[in-house]
Amino acid sequence: MVEAFEEGRYLYCVVDADATSETGEPFSMAGIDDETVSVVAENGIGAVVQSCESPYDTDDLELVRDWLLTHQEVVDAAGETFGTPLPFRFDTILKGDDDRVRTWLTDQRETLETHLADFAGHWEYRVGVAWDGELVREELESSDDELADLRDRIDEASEGTAFLLEKQYDSRIRDLRQARKESLTSRLRENLEPLVREIDVLDSHQNVLGEGSSDEVVQVAFLAHEEREADIGTVLDDIAAEPGIEVRFTGPWPPYSFAPELDA
Amino acid sequence: MRETGPTRSQSDLAEMLELLLDKGVVINADIAVTVGETELLGVKLRAAIASFETAAKYGLEFPEGTDMKRVEDAAGVEELAEEETVPVESGGGSSEANDDGENDEEAEEASEADEDAEKAEAKHDGD
Repeated sequence: MVEAFEEGRYLYCVVDADATSETGEPFSMAGIDDETVSVVAENGIGAVVQSCESPYDTDDLELVRDWLLTHQEVVDAAGETFGTPLPFRFDTILKGDDDRVRTWLTDQRETLETHLADFAGHWEYRVGVAWDGELVREELESSDDELADLRDRIDEASEGTAFLLEKQYDSRIRDLRQARKESLTSRLRENLEPLVREIDVLDSHQNVLGEGSSDEVVQVAFLAHEEREADIGTVLDDIAAEPGIEVRFTGPWPPYSFAPELDA
Repeated sequence: MRETGPTRSQSDLAEMLELLLDKGVVINADIAVTVGETELLGVKLRAAIASFETAAKYGLEFPEGTDMKRVEDAAGVEELAEEETVPVESGGGSSEANDDGENDEEAEEASEADEDAEKAEAKHDGD
């Protein structure tokens, strides 16, 4: 649970501090609650931080959303200046002052250097594939023999039997649709894998507001080098070229989904 | 729609902000605190994200046992107040919001929300 501390440093991200901005100006911007964000560096590794006295918590959702946006803006700006950052989870705070941050950077030097080198030039990208449900249904209905057979039987059946056959029909459609989704997922994964370092197929969530679920049937997140963007775009274009398919390709993002856990 | 490069529009950002809550580097040690994991704050944060008008496009995941009513209440009273304008895709319907005396930015967002609603209606093809 939340604990109090005298002085703390809110952590946005860790960066390669040897990379400097073109202007040569020290990195500085307004952070959460307009606190000044600065880079505390040691041995070429920089922690992008601001001072804070307690974790950020509020009942004001407007404010919370501003904090999240600010967190993301700071990490983005740091990424533009220093290259791929190691982005921290929201509200991660080191107890202590700048010296404490330096001590931590020194303690963790090897681990952080390894991760920074590992992530250099790589970013997180996300892809969502949506299909036109009506179109998919029509395709399945026109190409599947079993459905055609069921349709014929339904047309000739009595009302009671027809009802049961309709159930079978719907179940068959569901199975076919699931199979179609799985093959789309496999295709996406197989075509992207040679171009990316890591890939995660995301669970399609239920919509929070109960306003119907997302029409995206497949969602993936992957870690890839920025130079692969065009090749990845080509793979996605191929998939998007199919009738009724829409592809949403977002990024480059800081590599949140692929960020490491640090044990100290 | 064909895309050759990745985009970063505001609606994409909604999906991103959710990641700040349960992804990203954590420090497993007494020298640090991370409160993003506490359920109470987590619920509030997710509700805050859900209140992006465009969040209707993305499912947001809640932990088991979350008081959904509370989340909906929290999310329902939110107004989007962003400086950036939302790029409205072509083919968006007419925006009646313009007649309500709202500013252009809100009207633009409203028209995208309308568009999303239309899309949802057009594709209410279940699972």
